[in-house]
Amino acid sequence: MRYLLQRLGFYILAFLVAVTINFFLPRMMPGDPIQSFLARLAQNGGQITPETVKALESLYGYSTSTPLWEQFFTYLQSILHGDWGMSTRFFQPVVEVLGRGMLWTLLLVGSFLLISYTLTTLGGIWVAWKRGSRFDSILTVSSVIVSSVPAVVMALMLYFVFASDLGWFPTGYAYDPALDPALTGEFIQSVLYHMALPLIAMVLLSMGNIMGMRSNMINQLGEDFIVMGWAKGITDRKVMFNYGARNAILPVITAFAMSVGGIFAGSLIIEIIFNYPGVGQVMFQGMVARDYPLIQGYLLMMTLMVLSANLIADLLLLALDPRLRTSVL
Amino acid sequence: MNTVLTTSWFRLKEFFLNNPKAAIGIVLVLGVCILCFFAPLFTDYLPNARIARPHEAPSAEHILGTTRMGRDVWSQVIYGGRISILVGLVAGIFVMFMAMVVGISAGYFGGIVDNILSFLTNVVMVIPSLPLMLVLASYLDQVSPLVIAIIIGATSWPFGARVIRAQTLSIRNRDFIHAAEVMGESKKRMVFFEVMPNMLAILGSSFISTVIYAIMTEATLEFIGLGDPLSVTWGVMLYNAQQTSAIRIGAWWEILAPSMALASLAIGLALINFSIDEISNPKLRAQKIMAKFRREQAKENKRHKAQAEGKTGSEMVGGAV
Repeated sequence: MRYLLQRLGFYILAFLVAVTINFFLPRMMPGDPIQSFLARLAQNGGQITPETVKALESLYGYSTSTPLWEQFFTYLQSILHGDWGMSTRFFQPVVEVLGRGMLWTLLLVGSFLLISYTLTTLGGIWVAWKRGSRFDSILTVSSVIVSSVPAVVMALMLYFVFASDLGWFPTGYAYDPALDPALTGEFIQSVLYHMALPLIAMVLLSMGNIMGMRSNMINQLGEDFIVMGWAKGITDRKVMFNYGARNAILPVITAFAMSVGGIFAGSLIIEIIFNYPGVGQVMFQGMVARDYPLIQGYLLMMTLMVLSANLIADLLLLALDPRLRTSVL
Repeated sequence: MNTVLTTSWFRLKEFFLNNPKAAIGIVLVLGVCILCFFAPLFTDYLPNARIARPHEAPSAEHILGTTRMGRDVWSQVIYGGRISILVGLVAGIFVMFMAMVVGISAGYFGGIVDNILSFLTNVVMVIPSLPLMLVLASYLDQVSPLVIAIIIGATSWPFGARVIRAQTLSIRNRDFIHAAEVMGESKKRMVFFEVMPNMLAILGSSFISTVIYAIMTEATLEFIGLGDPLSVTWGVMLYNAQQTSAIRIGAWWEILAPSMALASLAIGLALINFSIDEISNPKLRAQKIMAKFRREQAKENKRHKAQAEGKTGSEMVGGAV
């Protein structure tokens, strides 16, 4: 319990640091978003009145008249109240815009996590068990090669060959725009079909995780308690899963929590290339239009995602590793 | 002199024969580096010169075709690699430097220093780096490759710092460190001459992973459109190809060329890293030993089986009599 509270305290602090970065960055940077907005407005022949400036200041949460620390607390307050500012690209609250994309991203990332971790964990256990076999050398080397291909390259190649050239997969959207979103078989099928190629790309890119599980498992298989298991005459399957894998999976869970940020970053690239309308695609549109509130909201949301993944990993570790429950940290 | 040369050549050959993965990795990386850094030897065209009609398919004259702007793709790839590789190296050195300073001081000095540095590391670690880079880069507007290297360096050091801290902690409690402390060696000497040399393998492999990460991230940032569109790098090439809808009109060479260059460099570095891991952790190098073990075991099993069958056979005969 104490362990959990400590972690929770750390996460709250980390979130505050992210908010602070978000607050100070635009104020430290050479490019002032209000000035650049005004410049663009003037270029397009817009009228600039003191009211315009005031409206923009309140839109961005900037002000030249109030002191910095007061601005900071106002900012913090509005963040905690779910007011993350207005998107200047979509003319909607940032939370709403991001939330819409988040739905698809969570679907994509969630299915990815399920498929990828099942495949790589089982694959790693199996390969470690059969280490030295031809199967082992082929699978480990090919997984290293496949997963070291840059995400941009992998996604572009798959898109070019299977979506654009061969036309086996759709070239965009999360579902067939001709369909109405409803819980019908046809709609679900269309969603799955549109999700397939991005998912394949992400799963292929994550195949390197086999190596992590493999080396953990090989290290565990050399331990005395494994020999003990053999000596007791327990079945292979039980030694493999209950003795070896249960211990080998602990570092994988920690690594998972650390990699969530990277997974969302990867889904950003994938969404941009496959025109998948997730939060990454929204972010991309915002970035092209220099929609600063949206870009900052994205950073906050991703931080929240990583922190909650860490919390989930902590809970999982507590459930799997009894040593953590009794240790007084 | 001559014998030294021949023996070292022999050792090198033996090393490569024993580590085919390392050999392929080194060949790939060296090949890409040589092509890029001696680029003028391998092409007659300047990367930014308009030398042909737009979107020409690969031919003898332009072996990888031309871009939308009528530039030679092959010369863009090999000239562009220079910047991509340099950015990877600069960011890699920056990250390693930060990681080493933070990791070694946290692990070696312990106490309050460790608490503060570890907290800092953990905080930067949970703030997702790509979104942070996107925020930084978009405020700076279109950024030059050097700035990209610095941004990557400033946001990506925590992972290495954690690994190095853990390693320092484990080295710190070994006897030779205590001995050196008793001898009254200075702190600086302790850190640089006692602790650091024992981490060379781990430093090497984190450096290589950082370089891979930096090259990929640079390409990603530029592909998204945060780079300087006038510079020639692999990421910018991909960005330009995407902008001129190379995919839709079937100009595959414009996408394929930088992609292959990026992929072969990344795969080569990953293979080298993989071999370093195997060499520094013999448990993972199980391939050959285990293969031999399996063969012996299979033979043994066969013999046992044959023996057992022979036995039951004779017993049965005995029973019948």
